Amino acid sequence: MVSAALRLIEDIAPNSAPRRTEIELRDVSVSYRAGKEGQKTVLSKLNLKVAAGEFVVILGETGCGKSTLLRLILGQEFPTAGAIEVDGKPVTAIDARCGYVPQKYSLFPDRTVLGNVMYGPENAKSRFLARLRPSFFAYRRKLRAEAQAYLVRMGLRPQDMDKYPHQLSGGMQQRVAIAQALLMHPPVLLLDEAFSALDPSTRASLQEQLRDVWLELKPTVVFVTHNTSEALLLGTRLILLGRHREDRAGETNLVLDMQIPPSKLPLSMQMQTREFQDLLEHVKQLAYKSSSMNTEDAIADRIVEEGNLA
Amino acid sequence: MAQSFRIADLTGIQVRPARLWTHSLSWILFVAGIALYAHFSIVRHRENPEDRVIPSATQLVQGMKASVLEPAEEDDPLDPGASLVQQVRHSMIWKDTVSSARRFLIALLLLVPAMLIGLHMAVFPYAGAFFLRFVLFFDKIVALSLLPILFIVFGIDEWSKIMLMVIGVAPTLMLDAYNISGGVPREQIVKAFTLKSTNLDVAYRVVLKQVLPQLINSVRLNLKPLALFLFAGEMIASTDGLAYRIAIMRRHMGMDIIIPYLLWVALLLFMLDALLRFTNRRLHPWYQPL
Repeated sequence: MVSAALRLIEDIAPNSAPRRTEIELRDVSVSYRAGKEGQKTVLSKLNLKVAAGEFVVILGETGCGKSTLLRLILGQEFPTAGAIEVDGKPVTAIDARCGYVPQKYSLFPDRTVLGNVMYGPENAKSRFLARLRPSFFAYRRKLRAEAQAYLVRMGLRPQDMDKYPHQLSGGMQQRVAIAQALLMHPPVLLLDEAFSALDPSTRASLQEQLRDVWLELKPTVVFVTHNTSEALLLGTRLILLGRHREDRAGETNLVLDMQIPPSKLPLSMQMQTREFQDLLEHVKQLAYKSSSMNTEDAIADRIVEEGNLA
Repeated sequence: MAQSFRIADLTGIQVRPARLWTHSLSWILFVAGIALYAHFSIVRHRENPEDRVIPSATQLVQGMKASVLEPAEEDDPLDPGASLVQQVRHSMIWKDTVSSARRFLIALLLLVPAMLIGLHMAVFPYAGAFFLRFVLFFDKIVALSLLPILFIVFGIDEWSKIMLMVIGVAPTLMLDAYNISGGVPREQIVKAFTLKSTNLDVAYRVVLKQVLPQLINSVRLNLKPLALFLFAGEMIASTDGLAYRIAIMRRHMGMDIIIPYLLWVALLLFMLDALLRFTNRRLHPWYQPL
């Protein structure tokens, strides 16, 4: 039944031409010293190529290295072995190639909503004394209009623009954080459990909004979540990570790499479909199994999945 | 609807006192202090009408008048026809306040770089590695024990007293700035770099701007230690200043001058604290103290 669902999804997938690789991880491993336990491996032998415009969702149990993977792409951490490239260049530090939306503390508390959103483009345009030039003021006016348009696009009202982050709800703050990242037009947008702390209705509305924005602007998105339905609703590709086992050293902890073409239905309706429910059940089972099974079984399952998709 | 007051409420945690109650309660200790003082003053004056240990209200008023309108003993007397403004500007308390305030404000200005060093220690790992161990050690040195060295290095003029204040408070402020700046969530710093910030942007436009209200609060909490070091310096080697006057008056048992001076110093510090608190609120409307 699952393979039928997968085939159905594959049937409606657009036949797109090969796209440029935006993110590439080659044999990436991350280990660190963990006191008396010795070396602890978080990610092992990870190989991943993400094409421009993909919406990749990384799913997995706690401690499987989802956030570590995101931090590696971001340049906040570096792999113990292997190489990472974003936009064709090696990642050596955090820079503006990646937009970033964390779960919390995503906004600068000392700036208003507009101030937060305009911070990045203002930095990019000019520095320090150059901001006193008349041309900068003209640019600022234009930027303000663009920032307002992005904020309205993300569901904010005009009266919210001059509020400080503490005057906004958690959902509103995340909307601003997404607009803040998008206004920089980064080739890659990274979201680290960005909706995890939100209530279900706000979460659903933000999911819709994020999907609409992605469909319209088509940035490459890497979205970390531990919510399986969210992963299947939003992503075009699902990466399932399992926790690495020390007795299986040298094997990858990537359990599943699966394409999910986006449905044309609104997310809430998409969720009701039989195909979605079957797929959800299957991924949940696989995620559950990956938390207890050994890596060999996980790889075997992945091969089966890839066979189903092919 | 507001509930009526019950005695049991005094020990309750989940009670909400009415505004009238909170205001009245906050003044009780002041009133009790004044009443106690008046009681002991009356008792002592009944035994000895010339008692100077606990001056009476009349003695205190005379002492205040002398401080505010008459020059210090060591200064030339004023013309009898001098205006009230001239009297005040040549008075003992004015002269002493200006001297102490000058030292205090110079020390306060010199503490700004100390706070910036603390910020750099938190933001730039190499600066942290360079300064932290030394500052932690220096913080444990009792500043007053350095006074003889300061007198030798800077002489007994202004700078030894100012440096005593700076050396006494700077390590604490540095460590405070270090801890506060280190508390800025890592996500904010990462985010700033993804928004094309430079290192200096992150240090000054992200971290400093966010921690400034807490740094001002830290200065507020250190006003009293700063005054303490000022007083120590002035009492040991000075020819003017509020603490110098108190030390001189102690020799003459001049409690009628000492008490108004003490209250004046407390009032000055209270006003400076209120000014900083007000400035903080006006400059940082976004700040949400815990």
